[in-house]
Amino acid sequence: MANLTFSEKRRIPLYDDPSQVECGVVEFDHKKCSSCGMCVKICPASTLEMIDKIVRMKQPSECMMCSDCVAICPEDAIVAIRNYRYTGCYKTIGLGELQAPRL
Amino acid sequence: MNNREQVIEQLKIGWTPTEEVILKRRSVRMYKKEQVPEFMIKRILEAGRFAPSAGNGQPWKFVVLREPEIIQGVTETTIKICKLFKSLIDYRIPGKRWRLPIAKFNIMLKPADLHPVPFGAVSLIADGKLGLFHGAPTVIMIFKDVRGISNPDLDCGIAGQNMALTAHSMGLGTCWVSFAKLAFQYTGKWKKRLGIKYPYKFITSLAIGWPVGEPDGIVTRPTHEVDWYENGIKKVVH
Repeated sequence: MANLTFSEKRRIPLYDDPSQVECGVVEFDHKKCSSCGMCVKICPASTLEMIDKIVRMKQPSECMMCSDCVAICPEDAIVAIRNYRYTGCYKTIGLGELQAPRL
Repeated sequence: MNNREQVIEQLKIGWTPTEEVILKRRSVRMYKKEQVPEFMIKRILEAGRFAPSAGNGQPWKFVVLREPEIIQGVTETTIKICKLFKSLIDYRIPGKRWRLPIAKFNIMLKPADLHPVPFGAVSLIADGKLGLFHGAPTVIMIFKDVRGISNPDLDCGIAGQNMALTAHSMGLGTCWVSFAKLAFQYTGKWKKRLGIKYPYKFITSLAIGWPVGEPDGIVTRPTHEVDWYENGIKKVVH
């Protein structure tokens, strides 16, 4: 991280400050879901859990929207709803909405 | 219709095979134990060899690791270092609140390394919840030649992406793993074991293997502002 003054550096939030990131949100279509558990297995943030064959996001979630679960789901039952965003002094500049690749 | 017009008409209705590989590439974090055939890894290295670099300097050194003992060893060293960091600056554990000023001081020194994301990964690796190479049977480590002209880090990145995309085009999975740098930055053990010395410096590594399931697929990504200058006008596109 470049160009921070001493006083700015002193005000960098701590690594567990929830205001530094806004986690991603995925939604599950429970009608399509076959409870195979693939998404839970591959989630690198260990933020998905399956209780009584119903998959959901743990709270607080640590989803970084890698979208691995969306891609691996054999039933296409997972949809990305909200992107992961860096906020505060790490804020990504000029981000738009989530979109599939456009031809 | 001439050839170019035909190509353009095709582009309007579908992706090229290269685009498909790029769009479908996901970071694979679960691999089968089965080893990847040697010739495939050699083909992947060829893609790295043919990457562009500043002044065609090719300021890199690739190290292929297919010995579980070495892959496991680098992982264990990295876990040890993560545990050490965690024991120094993790103040969230009950009774360890006194580490807070130490954590604050370290965040000032290394804000990029102690953002919630890398620090979260340090915690997960230290606790054994996140595997470093995710069980991949082959790892290609990329070292830069620090004497490289212009921007050798970028050149290593370009060569790495060439290799990653080639691997996905073959149905393999890859994941970029830069955390292994801890094992080279803070200890001499693996530098010595692998014979890495000046002018080589660890940049990143690529875990390669057969993925569990079918992880590659098209997903959504956020758009990003792009400035566009044309006909004397500036516009912003997404």
